[in-house]
Amino acid sequence: MWAFVLFIAVTIVTYVIFYAIPANPARLACGQRATAECIKRAAHYLGTDRPLYVQYGKFFGRLMPVAGLGPNNFSPHFKTPNLGRSFTNRLTVNSVVLNAAPVTASLVFGGAVFWMLIALPVGILSALRPRSLLDRIAMVFVLVGISAHPVWIGLLLAYFLGFKAGVFPITGYCDFINPSGNCGGPVQWAYHLVLPWATFAFLFAALYVRMIRANVMEALGEDYVRTARAKGAPEWLVMRSHVLRNALLPVVTMLGMDIGIALGGAIFTESVFGLPGLGKTAIQAIENFDLPTTQGVVVFATLCIILLTLVVDLLYAWIDPRIRLT
Amino acid sequence: MSRKLWLSTVTMSIVLLAVFAASAVAKSAKTGAVGGTLNADLTTDVDYTDPALDYLQTGWEIEYATCLKLMNYPDANGAKSSQLVPEAAAGFPKVSTNGKVYDFNVKASFTKFSNGAPVTAANFKAAIDRDADPKMQSPAVAFFSDIVGSDKSPVSGVKVSGSHLIITLTQASPDFLARMAMPFFCAIPTDLPHDPNGVLAPASAGPYYISDRVPNKSITIKKNPNYKGKRPHNVNQINYTVGNSLDAIYLRTQQGATDYAAGGIPPASYAEAAQKYGINKGQFWVKPILSVSYLAFNHDRPLFKGATGTALAKAINYAIDRKALLAQGGYLAGKRTDQILPPGMAGFRDASLYPLKGPDLTTAKKWMAKSGVKDGTTVEFYTSNRGAAPLQAQIYQFNLKQIGLSVNTHLFARAVQIDKEGTRGEPFDITTEGWLADYADPYDFINVLLSGDNLHASNNNNVAYFNDPKYNKAMRDASLLSGDARYKAYGNVDVNISKDNPAWAARANSNNRLLVSSRVGCFTYNNIYGPNLAALCIK
Repeated sequence: MWAFVLFIAVTIVTYVIFYAIPANPARLACGQRATAECIKRAAHYLGTDRPLYVQYGKFFGRLMPVAGLGPNNFSPHFKTPNLGRSFTNRLTVNSVVLNAAPVTASLVFGGAVFWMLIALPVGILSALRPRSLLDRIAMVFVLVGISAHPVWIGLLLAYFLGFKAGVFPITGYCDFINPSGNCGGPVQWAYHLVLPWATFAFLFAALYVRMIRANVMEALGEDYVRTARAKGAPEWLVMRSHVLRNALLPVVTMLGMDIGIALGGAIFTESVFGLPGLGKTAIQAIENFDLPTTQGVVVFATLCIILLTLVVDLLYAWIDPRIRLT
Repeated sequence: MSRKLWLSTVTMSIVLLAVFAASAVAKSAKTGAVGGTLNADLTTDVDYTDPALDYLQTGWEIEYATCLKLMNYPDANGAKSSQLVPEAAAGFPKVSTNGKVYDFNVKASFTKFSNGAPVTAANFKAAIDRDADPKMQSPAVAFFSDIVGSDKSPVSGVKVSGSHLIITLTQASPDFLARMAMPFFCAIPTDLPHDPNGVLAPASAGPYYISDRVPNKSITIKKNPNYKGKRPHNVNQINYTVGNSLDAIYLRTQQGATDYAAGGIPPASYAEAAQKYGINKGQFWVKPILSVSYLAFNHDRPLFKGATGTALAKAINYAIDRKALLAQGGYLAGKRTDQILPPGMAGFRDASLYPLKGPDLTTAKKWMAKSGVKDGTTVEFYTSNRGAAPLQAQIYQFNLKQIGLSVNTHLFARAVQIDKEGTRGEPFDITTEGWLADYADPYDFINVLLSGDNLHASNNNNVAYFNDPKYNKAMRDASLLSGDARYKAYGNVDVNISKDNPAWAARANSNNRLLVSSRVGCFTYNNIYGPNLAALCIK
């Protein structure tokens, strides 16, 4: 219920903000020699000649998966939710979002694997050997990772590993499936994403190392860990069943939220590496006053956050036996 | 156990990366070796690839290679590139004595559409009818409203008789041929759907055709196998990649991963590129654009009304530092100017009117005294928050302060600025603007931007709200002339307005700064459309 209210609120706020800006998308659609007739036609075509509440109502109606009830009033007519058409290139926003979402998903999920591969071992080892050389190096990494901007990191990686060393492509994206031209397939897909994954993972890995280290250290000091060790349980079992199981609960929550937010658009990484994902799409749409596309990305991001939050709640119950769904 | 886990994770990651890198590098090298294919990078996608809808410079650059037009611009450099020549038409059209009827004889046996269909006069009629269809929402309507029956599709003033395309106008319009050379009017298949959302890869009859377009990702252009005409068509294929950042495009072009930085390079890199590759020596090209950037003085406001307003406008023209303003656009951003028409536009006559090297404050102050405007008077100044505009606003503020004007700057998003300044009654005194030629005729600058006959309540292009009966008549008269008389008349209007009753302070004509890779040859630049893709070749 609250998720639905959140969804409505987000879309209304986006609409209102857009209409507070005194720009005329119809004028933009007609180019520099816009005539009054062209602008009038364009405004009607785009729907911007109607009151705000009518426009929002139409948007919301298109978005709903149910068109109405059938003749017997019991069987609802289902339809595909429709986000409308872009103001700038008249493409369907459904297709724009559906084309951009896999790119962002590739970046985010691949990046998440990257950062967890770094954060888990480094965080755990730092916790096991606090104030050791490894721990101090890890903390320097954390400090740099949190401080450095992804654009700067991305440009450095693109310059040194892409341009100077020529090991990875500087920018670009290849589809995992349905390759266009010579660029495509799993190998090219992964090859083109290595630098974006590394950039994207850098910041998050730093955050997660800190969090995992703190949680593991806290768990290591708990009575049940001491008890398990006193009972002669092997160290790996203590770690797996007692320390990590408890220490990773907040990490799972954070991971779910971070992935949900990032799916709405990893703007900086996508911009640096020319990835045609949701973040880049949103930036261009905002620059062009393209409300339907902006709204499409917002709707998608909101749904991702709501869904990922739900997934996290379900995972909680699976990880921690003390939590059961009612 | 933890150490083992750590080591195995790191080892596994390194092995995976090495496998990806080795295999993909091998594949890339193989791809790069394919001959006859050029690669181009764009930061943002074109708006459309449908000729009825496309109205952006990058799209027109592509359509210059793909379109077949009745009249077109030759594949030449310099001034010759903006002189119309017949393309699909057998020669120049026969024009009736009253100047209202144009009879084109379409003879295009040297080409067919990329789908194999022949080109006839009906294909050109189809283009005009499609543009005129209200369903299409085409921006082309502004350019053929003088054809009889242009408000309905099919357009009654366009008839096909055998190989002849006969177009009847409501009034004589000597710039009609130049307008017909716009991509909006290029030959299209007669069955091309009237789809307001545009066709992504329409068949075309020029030297090339768009074979594929994935919006926001790529555009593929291939040589039209049916084209046997005189226009160059060198490489087999041009692949556009959409979405790379300017920094990445610059690196990729230097590396040879792409051949043409179609989206440009970072403004801060132009000096470096010029130093590395020289200017106009093979890789880094600096060519003029038919454009003008200016300050428009709002003649609806008391400050710019009457003789005192004229004096103030002259004072500002003397006071602004055109050199410093241009420098904000980066190295080789353009050429300073004090006139309405850009060099390269027919009718342009160079006149030394205002200081181009720096402000002339002594003369500016004399004109300020004549204007009677009090010291410390506030000027409401509109500009955009994009690119160099905020930096230039600071220079304007400083320059105008030197002559006693206090500038109150308002920065807007570009779209907001356009909307506000185009609305009559909006409380601004000065706004910054620029104009890019739609076609090679001075009407597109002088009449469109300064004629008082075109003023409306909103959506004005004449944002100076300049409405001088004497000059309105001069503009109308010039628009009815043809040939040298037309250009001479427009040249006079340009110089006279700029000198005697300045509606603007024109400041610069921009340059196109283009970087290509070391393997690109045969670079030709068209004044209207930019780099000639059809002429490019691989060294």
